[in-house]
Amino acid sequence: MRYFKLLGFSAVAGLLLAAQTARADEPVFGFVYTTDLLPKNQIEAEQWLTWKTEKAHGSFNLLEGRNEFSYGVSDNFQLSAIAIYDWTEARQNAVDGTTTPPEPFSAYFPAPNSRFNATQLIGVSLEGIYRVLSPYTDPVGFAVYFEPTFGNRFMEYETRAILQKNYFDDRLILAANFTWAPEIRFLPPDPYADPGSVESTRNTNIETDVNVGLAASYRFAPNWSAGWEFQNEREINGWAILARSQWMGNAYYTGPTIHYGGEHFFVTLTALEQLPWSNNYMGEPVILNGRDYDVDFEKVRVRLKLGWYF
Amino acid sequence: MRAEFFLLPAAALVIAGPVRAEVFLTVEQAQSLMFPGASFAKDFRTLSDAQAAAIEEASGANVRSRTLQAWRVSTGGWFIVDEVVGKHDFIPFALGLNADGSVKAVEILEYREAYGGEVRNPKWLAQFTGKKNGARLQLTDDIQNISGATLSSKHITDGVRRLLATYAAILANR
Repeated sequence: MRYFKLLGFSAVAGLLLAAQTARADEPVFGFVYTTDLLPKNQIEAEQWLTWKTEKAHGSFNLLEGRNEFSYGVSDNFQLSAIAIYDWTEARQNAVDGTTTPPEPFSAYFPAPNSRFNATQLIGVSLEGIYRVLSPYTDPVGFAVYFEPTFGNRFMEYETRAILQKNYFDDRLILAANFTWAPEIRFLPPDPYADPGSVESTRNTNIETDVNVGLAASYRFAPNWSAGWEFQNEREINGWAILARSQWMGNAYYTGPTIHYGGEHFFVTLTALEQLPWSNNYMGEPVILNGRDYDVDFEKVRVRLKLGWYF
Repeated sequence: MRAEFFLLPAAALVIAGPVRAEVFLTVEQAQSLMFPGASFAKDFRTLSDAQAAAIEEASGANVRSRTLQAWRVSTGGWFIVDEVVGKHDFIPFALGLNADGSVKAVEILEYREAYGGEVRNPKWLAQFTGKKNGARLQLTDDIQNISGATLSSKHITDGVRRLLATYAAILANR
């Protein structure tokens, strides 16, 4: 509770001290990154809120908060310091009707029919983006992204290749992301697991996310852009992304995005819905009506990004 | 639901004011600055489809508006006002041409962007002086890029090249 107040008030204080000169890297998408970065020596604050809701049954909500302060080290290299904190509530939400917390709360084991409610600082991370090619001066924009995250019982290393191509005086933006993100969780014993199973003892869970994101956005009026995003997310057990026997889940999301960019402020809102095209390669009972409801998938995701330029 | 999650968005909505454009020069001020003591005869034109296509072909830049806002200068030459696409909004600018069609001056009239205001730098704008239709005028090649203001500098470069082609197709020898 104390750290939430600290994060909130420190960010608000920063806003109130914001200088008049505006600088920006500006995300026109909610889930897909572009190669646009902050100019050298410029600073920006971003606040993300991602709401994930609707599981197979019962009640489920996950609200992910992300505070981000970014700095332009050079015109082609941007660093960000990030704090991630989540709140969730779940009750009898899994396909089998048991209460199952979302992935960030994997170390919690509520009773199968209970109502689960928790808030947690998930971790802190450092994000770097290096632009190799600019979409404004090269045939296509290209950037590489890395983000190590460290949390309680959790580590993740997210890497991403970002491609961007602009058309119509740079008003139409097309972007593609390819993400590889291994994560490690150090889990306590699950009191409800089968005796003798791995989950019934202290264990280490390694999983790799491999995602593809595609998006298009058009600036239809001064300051306003609207577009569409598509995400394919694949979960792989362990590190071996090419070993088909280790593939777990595969889900697809798509939906609209709208963006307003002003002189000192921007806001981006994106709503995605999972398409009924999912697969669980391990045969686990997490699919219902074609949608994957494993711990890291849900039916609806809505992301709000707010940014301020210092 | 935790109230803390809504603290920052609420603060943002309170703090975020309307976008305020920064006007550097009015049209009249830009005219006086480029052609001191001259008078200006308004000579606006509407480009036909064929003329717009010819200008796009010659300049390689998109003709977004069919209205050509041009003034004939009493001391010789032309004064043209146009705009190019910026990151958020359009960037209005003025182009002064000598009687021989070469660039006398370029001035940014208004800038509403979050960044890239360095394109107002007189030394950067001076790179266009003396250029005529047919000059390549490509960013990073003939015209130096401004790091951190690439989009604005690219579009202004394209805009000047397009207006030089427009002058050659519409205004020259009139």
